[in-house]
Amino acid sequence: MEFPTEIIGDKGYIIITGDLDSEVAGEALRTAFNHMYEQGKRTIVLDLSGAQIINSYGIGKVLSCYQQLKAQRGVLMVKPLDGFIKETFELLMLDKLLPVDK
Amino acid sequence: MIPVQPSILLADSDERRRETLSSFCKKKGWGCRAVSDITQFQSYLQNESFDLVIADADMPGLSPMILIGQASRKRPSQSLLVVSDSSKKEYDLRMFRGASSDVIAEPVDLNWLESCVEQAITSRRQEEREQLAYSFVVSEKTEMIFSCKELGQAQAIALPIVGRLLAAKRLSETDALKIRVAVQEALLNAFEHGNLELDSRWKEESVGDTDRFTATRNERLQDPKYADRKVAITSWFDGEAIQIVVKDEGKGFSQDTRRDPGVHELSPYGRGLTLMRNAVDQVVFSGGGSEVMLTKRINKPRKW
Repeated sequence: MEFPTEIIGDKGYIIITGDLDSEVAGEALRTAFNHMYEQGKRTIVLDLSGAQIINSYGIGKVLSCYQQLKAQRGVLMVKPLDGFIKETFELLMLDKLLPVDK
Repeated sequence: MIPVQPSILLADSDERRRETLSSFCKKKGWGCRAVSDITQFQSYLQNESFDLVIADADMPGLSPMILIGQASRKRPSQSLLVVSDSSKKEYDLRMFRGASSDVIAEPVDLNWLESCVEQAITSRRQEEREQLAYSFVVSEKTEMIFSCKELGQAQAIALPIVGRLLAAKRLSETDALKIRVAVQEALLNAFEHGNLELDSRWKEESVGDTDRFTATRNERLQDPKYADRKVAITSWFDGEAIQIVVKDEGKGFSQDTRRDPGVHELSPYGRGLTLMRNAVDQVVFSGGGSEVMLTKRINKPRKW
């Protein structure tokens, strides 16, 4: 599994094209994140429109990315959320942590 | 009699090929929507269901993986054909070769296209028969048993009973997703913390180029003492609620010592209990924590 990435200006975008609910998906996120990070991007945006669910495993990976960026004064953002993903983020108050990239 | 005219969405930026395929579909009496740009294509995918989606692999703006996700989301059985010229590398097309998707080379073999449409119709008829039959079912019980060794290789576990309830419209899509998350969390707990006796705190301890949790997980999946332990998932519904019991062969845990991190804690683990409790109507632990029962109320059967 691979998640496409894109650089627009000073932001790196990771397009999540499947559910973040398995080790394979988690590793794909980590690989895409490392790719953006190693290219010097410190504002990274997750586009979760291609995912229907995220479980504790996926949330852990997202938070690992968040912490790594935060340690370098970077920002992890998300594209506008909807559906069950949005509900999950709100339940765990991750919507307060990760700003929205409009 | 349920209409069996296949519905096809054709997205192709090549005008000549689009017209050829569109004409062929119409001659066969198939319903066909033909679009030439990605915006219209994605709009149809989001708002309508089709028996078969035919897409041009070289369409400008097309992201293949997003396409697959969108095409299968509305109806998992929705078939997808990607048209590609022979110069495209097999490696780039590998992601399209799957259970409900495939690649068709240019020039398109119309006989093979016809067989793909027939297959899509057969699948749709089967789906409708199952939905009709299932609306009369008053109860069902299923049991699945996995060893840790097998679970370690599985990427995802789906409960057929949930798929059937969803297809029979006795569960909403959102509720089906919630049950999926709840079962995943219960299964992860049973597999990793129950049977493999892994501690989430080990994720924060580095070992070589990985962490203690991952290293220990991999070791124990090779050790029969842990790898042969079983996880049983029993699910049933009685017309009013679906109940799912996940049971492992581990030592159990004390709920008093187990709590999910709070919102201000950024630990990369935990939160499974919170997700479970939010997803279903009731979560009950027993057997010292080695067994959990999830209960979700469902809709009354729809009248045919």
